[in-house]
Amino acid sequence: MTMAENGAVKVAINDLSFFYGEMQALKKITLSLRRNKVTAFIGPSGCGKSTLLRVLNRIYEIYPNQRATGEVLMDGENILSPRQDLNLLRAKVGMVFQKPTPFPMSIFDNIAFGLQLYDRLPRSELEGRVETALKRAALWDEVKDKLHQSGNSLSGGQQQRLCIARSVATKPELILLDEPCSALDPISTAKIEELIAELSQDYTITIVTHNMQQASRVSDFTAFMFLGELIEFGETEKIFTTPTKKRTEDYITGRFG
Amino acid sequence: MVDAALSPHATLALNSARLRRALRADQIFQRLTFCCALLVLVIFAGIIWALVDGALPAIRAFGFAFLWTEVWNPVTERFGGLAPIAGTLITSFLAMLVAIPVGIGIAIFLTEICPRPLRRPIGIAIELLAGIPSIIYGIWGLFVLAPMLQQSVMPPVIDAFAGIPVLSSLFAGPPYGIGIFTAALILSIMTIPFISAITRDVFETVPPVLKEAAYGLGATTWEVLWNVVLPYTRGGVVGGIMLALGRALGETMAVTFVIGNAHRISASLFAPGTTISAAIANEFTEAIGELYLPALVELGLVLFFVTFCVLALAQYMLYRLEQRAGGRS
Amino acid sequence: MNQGRYLRRRIRNLVFLSLSVLATGFGLAWLVAVLGTLLYEGFSGLNFQLFAEMTPPPGEDGGLLNAIVGSLMMNLIAVAVGTPIGILAGTYLAEYGRYSRVAFVIRFVNDILLSAPSIVLGLFIYVAVVLPMGHFSAWAGAAVLGTIVIPVVVRTTENMLLLIPNTLREAGVALGAPRWHVIRHITWRAAQAGIVTGALLAIARISGETAPLLFTALNNQFWSLDPNAPIASLPVVIFQFAISPYEDWQRLAWSGALLITLAVLALSITARLLESPQERK
Repeated sequence: MTMAENGAVKVAINDLSFFYGEMQALKKITLSLRRNKVTAFIGPSGCGKSTLLRVLNRIYEIYPNQRATGEVLMDGENILSPRQDLNLLRAKVGMVFQKPTPFPMSIFDNIAFGLQLYDRLPRSELEGRVETALKRAALWDEVKDKLHQSGNSLSGGQQQRLCIARSVATKPELILLDEPCSALDPISTAKIEELIAELSQDYTITIVTHNMQQASRVSDFTAFMFLGELIEFGETEKIFTTPTKKRTEDYITGRFG
Repeated sequence: MVDAALSPHATLALNSARLRRALRADQIFQRLTFCCALLVLVIFAGIIWALVDGALPAIRAFGFAFLWTEVWNPVTERFGGLAPIAGTLITSFLAMLVAIPVGIGIAIFLTEICPRPLRRPIGIAIELLAGIPSIIYGIWGLFVLAPMLQQSVMPPVIDAFAGIPVLSSLFAGPPYGIGIFTAALILSIMTIPFISAITRDVFETVPPVLKEAAYGLGATTWEVLWNVVLPYTRGGVVGGIMLALGRALGETMAVTFVIGNAHRISASLFAPGTTISAAIANEFTEAIGELYLPALVELGLVLFFVTFCVLALAQYMLYRLEQRAGGRS
Repeated sequence: MNQGRYLRRRIRNLVFLSLSVLATGFGLAWLVAVLGTLLYEGFSGLNFQLFAEMTPPPGEDGGLLNAIVGSLMMNLIAVAVGTPIGILAGTYLAEYGRYSRVAFVIRFVNDILLSAPSIVLGLFIYVAVVLPMGHFSAWAGAAVLGTIVIPVVVRTTENMLLLIPNTLREAGVALGAPRWHVIRHITWRAAQAGIVTGALLAIARISGETAPLLFTALNNQFWSLDPNAPIASLPVVIFQFAISPYEDWQRLAWSGALLITLAVLALSITARLLESPQERK
């Protein structure tokens, strides 16, 4: 493949397999995520796209009987290594979930929580960082007068942007978005897509989505997965216009899935 | 709404005798269930009536002063409830002081630390222990705990604190073995499984994705618990604790064996005391005289009032948690 | 990133998690101690005599037969009366009155009664039954236990019925069946296991009840089946024997305590096994 001109590799995944107990959910996946690009994972339900995302911050480790084999090199370091400190890894990798997950605390504290984990910031700087994060998530104008209300008081779309703000506040190197718009209305979805485009200038982003239009709109690269295997991976434009595999074409044109 | 669809009147249009009989039976059945449900209210009202009625002579004789008078003299028929009321509150408070952290600690262990294969067995064991009758704890306290405390715990403690101002009177001798401290310890032992069972259930209502989000930021297990799980479940945990407190306040048998049944308030936790329920259990059948029995019933009335308030608060908090959990899922 | 801060966080994590392990050890140690002593002290006394002979005067051999029978009798009356009432009341709350205000109040009061001090219930029955009758009796003891059974059964019945999907009820009514047919033949049947569980838990709950029996059923050293007379019960005998200065009485108390514990554990374990599988977590 000739993608070298599209920037350096941020994460290199080599021969990654994943097991839920006996069940193999990922089969020898190999692909690379480019720095400051958006990579979309698409495919029918159960194809392993969310699982792949959950390997990248090893969030699966909080459940028993789930394990990954192979190699995931982030900036050359294997994050699957048993020596990898999980808290530090997760501090470097932000994650946003399908449903908004505001913590049971105020809007301000939702963002300050992550910030304070690693640095004891003076109040003024903390406030500044919270404001910056909220501005980046295009939420500042809507919440600046009620920063100390509960995060649950926001609408669904606002909550999701709060979660995005929360994960960008800690300046992660990689952001994982797991179907971030599937529970949202079209207007909120549009706002979040805009946000993704903007964030990709500074961050490496991966997004799992069911929505093909969304993948084609927001991503630079697309990986099509099916039954735990990576079927095709390449620049989004190519995948959506001239897919090389028959199955990819069928899925993209809506003939199955 | 379902009830509209299921209303008996909807089928009235089919006008056959058989159907009408069936509907009549239906009505009778509905009234029967309603009467049984009302019986719950009748029992409740009956309790209040019985307690007030039984306590009336004492209420007339002593008035509100009953609540803050310490004297308890069956011979002169002068009764005040301060000692048992204070004993009830102090033993329950001390019991909660131990049972809350330990109970929550066990719940944390069960939901976060315990190896998976052991979670269910230990969880079930704790639930079963929560159902063991209190008299078992009482007899154990009398025969095992009290002698042990008397011989090997109380004397060194009394000696150790001898010269220190507040502590020396709080832990003053002689070491009887039985007393406020022992009763509180037994109470806490029996409320621990209760608190941990409820807290564990409440912890399990936290959506996994919320915990994932916190772990995803790089938070440690303790930080996830302290900043996300506990705030999320606050209402339920407090509700569960209030429920346990309600139990502890009214607990009789675990306490009666080891409290010493002394109607006085002593500065020392090692001294014998009494609680409302222990006083009633110990003295009721021996109570003769115009005011002795009513005084005991009045103590029962006070106990019922206090536990009612605590339990009502517990209901309210658990109800709110349920509403929220229902709204989210 | 601040390395020292991260180290402190990890230490704090370790400390608190260790504390919770410690708490578990502490809590379980007490409970093991209680059960261990109970087994040790009570097991030697578990013999045929225990079930065949009456409670003895101090210094003589004897068993707990009259107390066991007295407990069984009062429990039986309490459950026989309390369970149907509880089931019907729970049915009202779940089926007919689900959203009504009366049901809301009843539910609240029932949950209060569920945790109310049993000794207060004893006072209630003393004033309401013992005083009018003029003497202590097995009836009064059974009445107290019944007032403990009812709230337990109401709560479990309602919970079980609420788990039944509405579509099942609608399907029954759509066939033209009157509501009470649907309840008896469909919803109750579907909730059967849960309702039986509730009854078992209620029995477990009253098996160890002591305090309210002290001044309702009182006690009786002799064999009695007369519900109008005072009657012995296992918990009350345990209480009196345990606080007595006689060693053979104390031994009997331990055996009785073990007996009650085994009965309660057997009941709760059966209740758990009966619980429908989808209910288990």
